[in-house]
Amino acid sequence: MDTMPLCPSCGRPLPATAPKGLCPECLLKAGFQTEAQPTVGDPAAPKPPPFVPPRPEELARHFPQLEILELRGRGGMGAVYKARQPTLDRLVALKILPPGVAGDPGFAERFTREARALARLSHPNIVAVYDFGQAAGMPFFVMEYVDGPNLREVQRSGKLAPREALQIVTQICEALQFAHDEGIVHRDIKPENLLLDKKGRVKIADFGIAKLVGPAMPDAALTGAGEVVGTAQYMAPEQRERPLAVDHRADIFSLGVVFYELLTGELPIGRFAPPSHMAQVDVRLDEVVVRALQKEPARRYQHVSDLRTDVEHITATPPPKPPPFSLPVAPPVPPLPAMPAALVTPAAHPPEETSDCRILPAFILAFFFGWFGAHRFYVGKIGTAFLQLVTFGGFGIWTMIDWILILFAAFKDKKGRRVAKWI
Amino acid sequence: MLVRVRMNSNGTAAAGADARFVTTHWSVVLVAGRTDSTRAQNALARLCQTYWYPLYAYVRRRGHSPHDAQDLTQEFFARLLEHHTLAVADPNRGRFRSFLLSTMNHFLAHEWDKVRAQKRGGGQPLLSLDLARAEERYDLEPADHASPDKLFDKHWASALLEEVLNQLEAEYQQSGKAELFAALKQTLTGTRETQPYAELAARLGMNETAIKVAVHRLRKRYRELLRVEITNVVANPEQADDELRHLFAALAG
Repeated sequence: MDTMPLCPSCGRPLPATAPKGLCPECLLKAGFQTEAQPTVGDPAAPKPPPFVPPRPEELARHFPQLEILELRGRGGMGAVYKARQPTLDRLVALKILPPGVAGDPGFAERFTREARALARLSHPNIVAVYDFGQAAGMPFFVMEYVDGPNLREVQRSGKLAPREALQIVTQICEALQFAHDEGIVHRDIKPENLLLDKKGRVKIADFGIAKLVGPAMPDAALTGAGEVVGTAQYMAPEQRERPLAVDHRADIFSLGVVFYELLTGELPIGRFAPPSHMAQVDVRLDEVVVRALQKEPARRYQHVSDLRTDVEHITATPPPKPPPFSLPVAPPVPPLPAMPAALVTPAAHPPEETSDCRILPAFILAFFFGWFGAHRFYVGKIGTAFLQLVTFGGFGIWTMIDWILILFAAFKDKKGRRVAKWI
Repeated sequence: MLVRVRMNSNGTAAAGADARFVTTHWSVVLVAGRTDSTRAQNALARLCQTYWYPLYAYVRRRGHSPHDAQDLTQEFFARLLEHHTLAVADPNRGRFRSFLLSTMNHFLAHEWDKVRAQKRGGGQPLLSLDLARAEERYDLEPADHASPDKLFDKHWASALLEEVLNQLEAEYQQSGKAELFAALKQTLTGTRETQPYAELAARLGMNETAIKVAVHRLRKRYRELLRVEITNVVANPEQADDELRHLFAALAG
């Protein structure tokens, strides 16, 4: 009987009668799906970018205080340039939002409010905002320049080791908790917004931009290419439905998606396998990731710091060993004080201790003495008892009797007399 | 046992999108009520042409021998296309799939016995049913312990997908892109990660960007055609989503 080929996507057996040799379930499933949103900087997107970012020279006119160096990236939310502040002699990032965004009346006020909130976020893992405003109808931010790739670029060039992934996630947690404490939700956590500098520090960019650019903008201006604010695959379910009514737990979901992708290289869609099934990661992380990815916000982690605590605990403690199939070897029973040492069999002791060849003759000697209780003549009662204990020479009846008598001696009878005179 | 076909459109997308859309709607058949209208006749014939195998498999699964099943199927469709009346008050008329199954059940229960003695040989055959190969194909099916009804739904879903893929392939062949289709059809089921674009690009002598665009277009067109075909077999477009979900459940079970 031949084994049937398997569908490369779902792994189910592929019968010879499958339509055009393709798995019918996967075909139907593909019929449901909407096309994945193109990611920022994906040059293969067959749609034109929603707005054409001005060339650096054109921009320079509007920003006399900056030296515009080059265009760094673009997407539905605008464009980012590398620039220099000559006065302070430092590199900065200039982010401009498309002109269409500023169209609605309440925008200016929201923009100011948002920018000021962002300015409060002074944290080593958050890209700092230096300045903001509007130039030629284009809202802009002047931000900290991060010299390094974003997480998407890092992932493209090769998968990260789980240890690195955990370090990155920990830093993100710190930054997010800081922002959440300030009442600010990011709303668009995704690998493109997570930058890594030369020192390997994570810097979260574009805080709150999603909210700012969000619902009031006219569709045509920004979504000409069909891109939605907040990348769909990283958005929490409640965020897709009511984008502005979400709280900080939406960030936790997005972080969960990023985490999963970092560990496994795949996105957690539909019924996804736990990370430990797909990569060599600690099985305890499965719970963490799954909890972050709960559809119901109430079932997720309620604070990013809790997620971080769990991750740190897992990092700091060794992974649980698989349980042994046989019962563990019982440790040697420690001799009870009243119990004759005779009852402790030598076999209970690990062989190493008896491998010394001097012990054996001593043992034989002690045994001999113990058997005949001979050492009583030399070292007295107490000494006898001690020796018997230590040398295990006590299989003999004399030892038994000795111990019983010692016990009697220790407990005088009611009359205060010794029970036996001859002890 | 190939029976000569007599249909206006040849059943493929080459007939042109409009013609195909108009002549294959199950709703067209229902509205006509009687299949003596040519349009309705063609619509029904086209539908039967696509979905006859699931019925054959159903009949076989119900315990009939290959020989009997072939006679049965042929007779059934001949009567269906000739009887001209679909005005039977039947709640199952909503979907072609349910209609076909319930009509077949009725046929098996009441009419087959009377008719089998006097099955017609020639006459006006209206469908091209490759019944000999049907048995071969039935043999190739993997063992499945589902009930005949469930199995019928599974086969139906397969037949639907096969039809959509055939149409898609025909389109690509028409524009001289047969090779492209053959190379890219795997991408219809896989996520991007399982189909390395670099490999495909090398094989077809295109750059990766062009491959991505081509795949995107292929999948988009596939989804469109799938949508159309599902809508074809239901009475009104609102039922299409439901039908899609039902088929998905049928395949998963």
